[in-house]
Amino acid sequence: MEKKGVSRRQFIKYAGATAALLGLSEALVPEIARALEQLSTSGKPPIIWMQGQSCSGCAVSFLNTNYPEAAEVVLNELSVRFQPTVMASSGYQSTNVIEDTVKELNGQYVFVVEGPIPTAEGGEFCTVGVEDTTKEVMGKQFPKDKPIMKWMEEVVPGAAAVIALGSCASFGGIPGANASVTGTTPVQDIVADIDKDKPVINIGGCPAHPDWFVGTVLDYLLNGLPELDRYNRPKMFFGQLIHENCERRAAFDAGLFLEDWNDYNPDMKLCLFKMGCKGPVTYADCPVRRWNSKVNWCVGAGGPCHGCAEPAFYKDLSPLYEPLPNVNLVSLQPAVNLGWIAAGATAAGIGGHYLYKQLGGKKESEGGEE
Amino acid sequence: MAQIVTIDPVTRIEGHLRIDVEIENGVVKDAWSSGTMFRGFEMLLEGKHPWDAQQVTERICGVCPLVHGTASSYNLDDAMGVDLPDNARIIRNLCLGANFIQSHVLHFYTLAALDYVDVTAVLNYTGGDPALQALKGKLSGLAKANDLYFFVPRYESEDYISDPELATILVGHYVEALEARKKAQEMLSIYYGRMPSFVGTIPGGVTSHPTVDNIEAFRSRLNELRFWIDSVYVQDIVTIAGVPEYAPFMTVGDSGGNYLAYGGFDLDTSGSEKFLPSGYVLGNNVASVNDFDESDIFEYVTHSWYKEDCNKAPAEGHTDPDVHKKEAYSFIKSPRLDDNPMEVGPMARMLVMAGRELAGTYPETLLPLIDQVGLTDAVMGLVEAGAFGILPRHAMRAFECKLIADKMAEWLDELVPGEKIWDSKGKDIPDSSQGMGLVEGPRGALGHWITIKNKKIDNYQCVVPTTWNASPRDKNDNRGPIETSLIGLPVPDPENPINVVRCVRSFDPCLACAIHVIHPEHNGVKAFRVV
Repeated sequence: MEKKGVSRRQFIKYAGATAALLGLSEALVPEIARALEQLSTSGKPPIIWMQGQSCSGCAVSFLNTNYPEAAEVVLNELSVRFQPTVMASSGYQSTNVIEDTVKELNGQYVFVVEGPIPTAEGGEFCTVGVEDTTKEVMGKQFPKDKPIMKWMEEVVPGAAAVIALGSCASFGGIPGANASVTGTTPVQDIVADIDKDKPVINIGGCPAHPDWFVGTVLDYLLNGLPELDRYNRPKMFFGQLIHENCERRAAFDAGLFLEDWNDYNPDMKLCLFKMGCKGPVTYADCPVRRWNSKVNWCVGAGGPCHGCAEPAFYKDLSPLYEPLPNVNLVSLQPAVNLGWIAAGATAAGIGGHYLYKQLGGKKESEGGEE
Repeated sequence: MAQIVTIDPVTRIEGHLRIDVEIENGVVKDAWSSGTMFRGFEMLLEGKHPWDAQQVTERICGVCPLVHGTASSYNLDDAMGVDLPDNARIIRNLCLGANFIQSHVLHFYTLAALDYVDVTAVLNYTGGDPALQALKGKLSGLAKANDLYFFVPRYESEDYISDPELATILVGHYVEALEARKKAQEMLSIYYGRMPSFVGTIPGGVTSHPTVDNIEAFRSRLNELRFWIDSVYVQDIVTIAGVPEYAPFMTVGDSGGNYLAYGGFDLDTSGSEKFLPSGYVLGNNVASVNDFDESDIFEYVTHSWYKEDCNKAPAEGHTDPDVHKKEAYSFIKSPRLDDNPMEVGPMARMLVMAGRELAGTYPETLLPLIDQVGLTDAVMGLVEAGAFGILPRHAMRAFECKLIADKMAEWLDELVPGEKIWDSKGKDIPDSSQGMGLVEGPRGALGHWITIKNKKIDNYQCVVPTTWNASPRDKNDNRGPIETSLIGLPVPDPENPINVVRCVRSFDPCLACAIHVIHPEHNGVKAFRVV
């Protein structure tokens, strides 16, 4: 750290920020500080971040990172070799860096993939850079486009770990709903075909919260592969239902539902269940973590949770503004009398039942790890 | 001897853009712009609940979700015959404005600045500013560890700003800008929940009530940003415009002189009066602004990877990919206004505004600002020369950012806590209906169209800013605006085509937006081989 021009004081600050981000006790700050120092003496961990059928939303979300700030991550914590939205280099200069990193740092770099991979038509639906061969257009010879699929084959084998960033990279997401045309495939399926033992961490969310990404990377660097749920999501971020921690939970329990957005009660914000809230079937820590420097979150702004962190998003959670099906609201209302535990069980029931139906009855419960 | 130079990926933009230029004697002779990623996800909207459109289309792009969500809301309002409450209209304007601020700041600093400022000059900084000394310390450490990958390699050029004092100040602003744009996204989340991808605007209005608390939370951030825009962003533009080496960029990079603005920021419920005026200009004739009619828009696919029968007006358009099509080189279509390629974005809007100010049909707004920063002579010189190049495109973006930010402070005072935010007609889906939503986003004119049948989406269409700007040649072999802007550009060293990326980035391209597909007739399932 010292050799990168970072003072001891700043250094402890990063350790503190890291602890806060990972939800760890401040008592661990000295230990994290030591671990970060070890990382720094062995050189900053290299990152290659490529985009498949992405919208750059997760890259933009990353720029909203607060503790640590984006500049600190880039200058102090990671060695960003390739990130097309923000890095300086273009064209062959930038793709040469990928090739050099793969060659020189085999087994050491973290490979971040934003967006899923289209496999139809030889991968022509998403290309990055060019190949040695040529194509003819309008009577002239041009270098041929290089499919992202080929980059996966070249970059995955030497990666220490692969991070699928965002719901579409992890599970197909919105582009996945058109998989019949472009052959959209989640990153973990592509990786499994290349090397079935290569660890893949899925970070859901459309977009992914910057803390989920930065926290996962730091946790991986400090402690190795984080504990994952059945969808390979880090449990520390995706371990609890939105509904369990929702600031409008009391209104749900009291049976007070929003039915007209003009209704405003500053003392108890009305539950958005009838407006289609997917909080009862969505595992993510949004209610406590909140977004944009903790300023707000979807439900806080009167909008229902759309379940964007779930594998079922978007197709199997549509229509987004209709209540979750097969739920009798009248039967839920006694939850007020039965107390919190009964209401929690009811909510879990909603989730299990709903997704069981949506996913064709493949599994008993698809909500994630309890 | 002519030589093809390919730049792929063009980075520091949104998405997958490839640029090919043919260079002869150090000058660009011809150019091709290609969008190289296709998702086609909007086709899944067909048969869906109309309200889903807002949430799905805002995910066309992670840089511009707000603009799609807003256009979609107006589109659905139109289809459902909504009377938008004033509070809702104002909150939509405030959030759209906050997005302009975050987008323009992001573009100039995070995306474009590294084309002009030599980051390595910071290593020679000798000034006494503690924050800049700390920055030098960090970069020196990275340089010693041989880990400046974020900043080098880069296209080398002799005309980078390399004076250590000035370069370090600008790099300091580059870092500050990351925080400024983050603050603008915090403003958005006050009313819309979060960014990117948000929930706050819905058919019929918005979901958040204005309160004294949230108005002041918004205002405190807005005031900080207005100060920063005035004292940093606009000043940096004036500084860079004054660098003697960059003088040619005042006119080099002209896109052909056709500019189109739909108009944006409704000032009344009917939407007839707008803060950003609508109109179009042909052949750089700024003094003559024409009224625009959306029925003059037509999309060609002559050189796009789509089947030939996809040449259509946008409201009835469809898209059927064909990656083997001869003579095609892009997933972007070619929208044209009365067969003219049109540049859209801040330069188009500001020139339409200036033209209307000169004609006396719009109150003086932009011209006094240009005067205040001392650029009146320079701008009038461009009007006379009939060419607007790379630097004016950056300058107009900065001016627009300031005008909108200042206007937002007035709009904030118009919010009335306790008044309606939603018209429940938004919830009444008609059996069949049509809608249209035209807005201006940071990158230019955006239109959404919907057809509802049996209470479901029958057809949904978007015509998006970068589709205009980055389009390939059309049926008449007219190049798209970015292609035209590259011709004549000096590229003395083909290994370092810095001027090409400077010019392309000045348009702020957004490729995820540009390549969109909606399918009215075909229903998505294709006999493609999945390998």
